[in-house]
Amino acid sequence: MSDPAHRPSRPWRPWVPWVPWVALAIVVGVALGLGASRGGTAPTPTQRADAIDAVIRCPSCEGISVADSSASTAVAIRGAVAARVRAGESDAQIYAFLVSRYGPGILLRPPVHGWTEWVWVVPPAALAMAAAGLAVVLLRRRRRRRRRPVPVSAEDRALVERALWERSRHLGQPDAMRVR
Amino acid sequence: MTSALVDGTSPGAEVHRRHTAKWVAGVALVVGAALVALLATRPPQTATEVDTPLVGQTAPAIGGSTLGGGSFDLAALRGRWVVVNFFASWCPPCQQEQPDLVAFAYAHRTPGDAVLVGVVFDDSDSTARAFMRSTGASWPAVFDPGGQIALDYGVRGPPETFLVSPDGIVVAHFDGPMTEASLDYWLARAKGTG
Amino acid sequence: MNAALGHSGVLLSLAASVLGVVVIAYGLARHRLDVARTGRVYAGLVLVGAVVATVAMERALITHDFSLAFVAANNSRSTPLLYSITGMWSALAGSILLWGLILAGYVVAMTWRFRRQSTDPLVAWATLVTLVVAAFFFGLMAGPADPFRTVAGTVPANGLGPNVLLQDNALVAFHPPILYLGFVGFTIPFAFAMASLVTGRIGEGWQLATRRWTLFAWAFLTVGIVLGAWWSYQVLGWGGFWAWDPVENASFLPWLCATAYLHSVLVQERRGLLRVWNLSLVIATFSLTILGTFLTRSGVIESVHAFSDSDIGPLLLGFFGAVLATGVGLIAWRGDRLRSPGGIDSMLSREGAFLVNNLLFVAFAFVVLLGTVFPLLYEAFEGQQVTVGAPYFNAMTLPIGLALLLLMSIGPALPWRKTTANTLRDRLVLPAWVGALVVVGCVAGGVRGLGPLVAFGLGGFAAAANARQLVLSARGARRSGAGAWRGFVGRANGGMVVHLGVVVIAVALAAATSFGHRSEVTLRPGQVISSAGHRITFLGLTQVRTPARTATEALVLVDGRGPLRPAVSQYGPNTEAVGTPAIDSGLEDDVYLTVDALPARAGGPVTIGVTVQPLVIWLWGGGLLLVLGSALAAVPGKRRRPTDPVSAPVPAAAAAGDDSSGSGDAEGPSVVVVPDARRDVEPGGPGGPGEPGADEHVPEPVPAGSP
Repeated sequence: MSDPAHRPSRPWRPWVPWVPWVALAIVVGVALGLGASRGGTAPTPTQRADAIDAVIRCPSCEGISVADSSASTAVAIRGAVAARVRAGESDAQIYAFLVSRYGPGILLRPPVHGWTEWVWVVPPAALAMAAAGLAVVLLRRRRRRRRRPVPVSAEDRALVERALWERSRHLGQPDAMRVR
Repeated sequence: MTSALVDGTSPGAEVHRRHTAKWVAGVALVVGAALVALLATRPPQTATEVDTPLVGQTAPAIGGSTLGGGSFDLAALRGRWVVVNFFASWCPPCQQEQPDLVAFAYAHRTPGDAVLVGVVFDDSDSTARAFMRSTGASWPAVFDPGGQIALDYGVRGPPETFLVSPDGIVVAHFDGPMTEASLDYWLARAKGTG
Repeated sequence: MNAALGHSGVLLSLAASVLGVVVIAYGLARHRLDVARTGRVYAGLVLVGAVVATVAMERALITHDFSLAFVAANNSRSTPLLYSITGMWSALAGSILLWGLILAGYVVAMTWRFRRQSTDPLVAWATLVTLVVAAFFFGLMAGPADPFRTVAGTVPANGLGPNVLLQDNALVAFHPPILYLGFVGFTIPFAFAMASLVTGRIGEGWQLATRRWTLFAWAFLTVGIVLGAWWSYQVLGWGGFWAWDPVENASFLPWLCATAYLHSVLVQERRGLLRVWNLSLVIATFSLTILGTFLTRSGVIESVHAFSDSDIGPLLLGFFGAVLATGVGLIAWRGDRLRSPGGIDSMLSREGAFLVNNLLFVAFAFVVLLGTVFPLLYEAFEGQQVTVGAPYFNAMTLPIGLALLLLMSIGPALPWRKTTANTLRDRLVLPAWVGALVVVGCVAGGVRGLGPLVAFGLGGFAAAANARQLVLSARGARRSGAGAWRGFVGRANGGMVVHLGVVVIAVALAAATSFGHRSEVTLRPGQVISSAGHRITFLGLTQVRTPARTATEALVLVDGRGPLRPAVSQYGPNTEAVGTPAIDSGLEDDVYLTVDALPARAGGPVTIGVTVQPLVIWLWGGGLLLVLGSALAAVPGKRRRPTDPVSAPVPAAAAAGDDSSGSGDAEGPSVVVVPDARRDVEPGGPGGPGEPGADEHVPEPVPAGSP
């Protein structure tokens, strides 16, 4: 719909307002790139032991890790983990040892293989399905709307055009018509 | 003002959408019913037996000084049935099961019969010793400094009891206070199959 | 005497609720609405019975009446007065009594608030539903969860005392009642949802009418959860405040659905959309409060086989199943009436944002529920125990949390109906740069780690975006003559303040969980050690003996401040000793001290656990902001007449001058705006003219008289 009062008020090229965003993307990208790495060195034995302790459940506590607990069982497990890390065992070997004693319930993070993988897979899959379903519904609705445009009578058109013109006359500024 | 349908839907689409609501409701109902059924049908446990990875494996070593001042080694008891009992003086179920353990030990006091061994879990030697003495317990109770024996056996908290066969295999693992009757039952059952 | 009094109170409430249900049902069936309105009387009787029972229980606790089994198990002669009073809700049966009392209070408040519409079948149905819920809970108290059961045999001379962990912090007086005010409060919106489904009146009236009730319940639930986190931080000794354990998840699940509902209901008010979503969310919120009570009270999660031992478990589960079946069945039955008159025109709109918001919150709740229930599922099928702990929940909910932060930045800048990317680009450029500068500043300051940096950046973005809304709102309010302060009150503006509180909490969570540091130090008296940037000085041990508590305290100075007193305490004889931590809180970080090992001999070294976590105090500050925002949101806006236009006012013809009261020029060529066809306009619509956030697609009015 052509409006004689409407004309762009800013004489810029259309890409100018995007410049701050591009600059922002570059700045953030660089900063995150610099900040993302926590030093490239291999973890120290203490750090390895701490990382393992954080995912081992304290057997006599209510669901906290051996890293957080000061119960005797937690202290014993922390000691065993530290000894095995020093002896050069891998993370998987240490987990396997603890599971061989306490059962799979000793790990706070359910293992990714076996039946427990469902607990990792189901939420992202459900979210993806829901998003896909939403997209399908919206696309179908938009396609239907495009096939069947809203019928508008000439009398409605005239009404709206007159109202917009009257308003521009009252406000006295042609570019007040521009919808921000 | 015209009365155009804003989103241009056809009557056919209305029927489709009503069915969608019913489908979603149906799925929600089925999932909800499954959840309720699952939560409602957890079976009660018989006795307090737990299935841990140690069952069927060689019993880890138990060695160290006992409350009485001597030393102890589980390997020396090969050839006899051994009941290993992790306990502490401060835990109410341990206090609860102690009389039954005393009765069991007395009933099996003949040499060569099943023997009872205690392991102190996170307790000081003075209180553990006082506990054993005051309850009339006469079986060896091994110290576990640093909780290493408890870790080897995968003990979460006292009282936990293990039944070890004469060839050193863990036959059963119990969580919670035992009674004399259940000990006799499980021993008899293990002897029957083993 | 106390038992008799208590029993009579419980029975009175039970009888009144059952009778009330029968009478209202009869009145509705026979269309005798004058009979139906007597439901108010029965609601009052339920409250009377609940008050009598509560008074009896408190009296028994305060006077140490050990003839009651509950008092004998949860109270002792040496229990201080405060913990005797709070003993009522320190165990199952008493906490059901608290639930019943609060529910009765809510029902009476509801019947009083809607007393002028008490002959309306919808209100009658809502009262009936609340009385059914009350009948269930008082029925529990009359049977399996009887708080006034007397001791079999001789009355003991002294009781066992409350659980030791419930005795060393005064928060036990606040956290459970506030939490229950939240949980139980959702019964009212739920009742109205069921009533509207049953009567088929799915209009907007009941949602507007119960909006403040939902906000009230949500605010209390939020405060209750934050207090719970604060309490476990102060008491439990591991320096953490949220462990994703089943009890915490049980309170978090209804909160997630209620938050989604509070947002989504705006779309229904404005455009009549998302009706099925809103009804589902309200029913889900209430069902999850029942499921949560079941999960924590039946012991199903801690010990899978304790279910069959508990009497109350099957009943709670059955009630949950009934609520779910009824709600879902009603929605399916009324499906045809729930179709919305329109649709979402474009995803790039506020409606679209709220729809995505719903999806994200439901996904969040699904993850938490799945993680909580999965050990049961696994045990049922595989026979082995598996643990789903904090690492799982943290990993799964982090992306959802970040997505919600992003949505919180974009959403308030989105207009209704549809917009273009250019509009967003112009509105959000400044907030986005604030976020970018936060990231740069953090990296320059030495912060490392992708997750926390993204969280901080998004936090800055969201804070700036919401602050921008507040500034615009205040400016608009001042310009239209209402006063700048109006830009900070009202539903939308209070919501912006709540969002700011959420940002503060999110930033604090990211900092505390990513950069916490735990170590153990062994110190002799007088020794100083440095840990994570703080100087820890151990002065020595002291013994403390009060009637309630015997403790060995370690006197510790942190950076010269103190002394702090982490201890190993015993509350009452023959109870186990628990560690009681001491905390030095600062704006930058918290130093959390526990006694890990006492010396083996006198004068020996003590082992102290030192946990240093940054920004913990911001968590509680964010919680305060949440409360403030909820209070601001409850302030009613200027009264609007039903014919007032919703858009910003357009000035009338030049002769009439600027009409700032908002009523558009009815005749003449001004833009025709269609007012919202609301049934009853509550005070507190979108804040009147002080809310450009809603109307930014209309150019701001220029005072008449300008050329």
